[in-house]
Amino acid sequence: MIELKQVTKQYGQATVLKNITLTVDEPGIYCLLGRNGAGKTTLLKSIAGYQNITSGTIQVDGKPITTSTLDTGVSYIENFAKHFNLPVRKLLRIASEVNPNYDYDFASEMMERFELDGKKKFNHLSLGMKTMVSTIICLASNKEVILLDEPVLGFDAIMRVEFYDMLTESFQKHPRIIIVSTHIIEEIAKTIQKLIIIDKGSVRFFDTLQSVETKAFRVSGLQKAVEAATRGLHVIGQDTVGGLVTSYIFDNPPEQAASLEIHPLSLQDFFIQMVGHKGGAAR
Amino acid sequence: MTAIFAIVKRLLASDKISFILTALVVLCATSSGEVVLSNGNYTWLLAVLTPFFFVFYDFTKLMHLGASKKDYFFGCLISYVFLAFCISLVNTVVHLLIDPLYPARTVINLMDVCKWTENGIAVAGLQQMVFLLLAMVFLHVLLSMQAHWYGWVTDAVLVAIICIFTPIASLRGILAGFFQLIMLNGNAALHIGICLLLSAALSFVGLVVLKRKTL
Repeated sequence: MIELKQVTKQYGQATVLKNITLTVDEPGIYCLLGRNGAGKTTLLKSIAGYQNITSGTIQVDGKPITTSTLDTGVSYIENFAKHFNLPVRKLLRIASEVNPNYDYDFASEMMERFELDGKKKFNHLSLGMKTMVSTIICLASNKEVILLDEPVLGFDAIMRVEFYDMLTESFQKHPRIIIVSTHIIEEIAKTIQKLIIIDKGSVRFFDTLQSVETKAFRVSGLQKAVEAATRGLHVIGQDTVGGLVTSYIFDNPPEQAASLEIHPLSLQDFFIQMVGHKGGAAR
Repeated sequence: MTAIFAIVKRLLASDKISFILTALVVLCATSSGEVVLSNGNYTWLLAVLTPFFFVFYDFTKLMHLGASKKDYFFGCLISYVFLAFCISLVNTVVHLLIDPLYPARTVINLMDVCKWTENGIAVAGLQQMVFLLLAMVFLHVLLSMQAHWYGWVTDAVLVAIICIFTPIASLRGILAGFFQLIMLNGNAALHIGICLLLSAALSFVGLVVLKRKTL
């Protein structure tokens, strides 16, 4: 279980995480979404104990997490992680030796599936392959909390699909908390159970994907009709073009009317409405 | 324990450059004249080079492989003890077997300079080992601190101590006394005790520094 209480992180005058309170208590694959600079990496690194927070507390399975925690039980990997310049197979074997619960069979199987050349040295791999090696090491560690920071960066479309399959298999084999930060929203939707959206250092949304599917709608029509239909509902955004208004809601859908067009929001549109809009101004 | 020994193995394996450089210097160094330096002295170079690799090269990579800070800490300590033993063994063997091959010359080996051989060769080897352990742990802690402000303050304090204590006679005595205690010490029990005590204290400081280390 990950428990964050009033977590704030400042770099000098800049506040990157603002008073975040969040509890992730069930095993599952969670997707962490946020714009560039939203604080995703800072949040993940803080949970991993790679850096200290300015105030608040972070606990993983009841254990306080800071840089002082000598054994966090968290595995975190970033996409430009540095590794020993050794052949991939050797690197995976060393990882199995330094991690008590490492699943070497899983790591070897993934190495074969992703056609990683076991004899090729780490520095000679492409960016995508390097990221894949880091991700395999992280997932095979079998720690109770797995944090993957933009793992699909540098992956081609086929690798991404394989990666999502690997994520699901790894979770099924060993259910635990896996948090994946990514920008490719729609692709990961089939894999994840819950969604965390952070924006400007604050958690804007934390719920299941089903809630987005059942509650996120776009209501379009004449201004008066839209306003009447969405009155009292949770409106997360609005667009106006001429006399036509489109309201984005996260609530129970309004009654269908002839003058209104009501459509479910895609995950990407929902994310855009939650964190702001073209040009970046939050609404 | 398996994880710690895996880390020890990796630390030693990635210390190749130190081993090669030390071996080259030991094998290639030559002295001329009536008084020559023992080539065994140059084995100490390994003790100076190793902490640089452990601190600046291995730490991040081991963390990314999923090692814990606790295992890294103990892995480093065990590696330093092992290396101190090996360096001491090699220099002792050189002192016993190679140094006497220069019969007409005076061969200076640091084990003699430090008065350790007064206690017999086995004890001298042990004294050398604990001193090298102290030196490696000290360097490890000092290098680990360099990313923080207190590392720079420590550097400045050390430089200041040397600069101020050296020219003033009374202070120079204190500085010399300290080095006589940790290095030029013929009293084996006192020397070994002091070196182990200081190594333990510095290891504790190293642990505090490690706990503050970010990635």
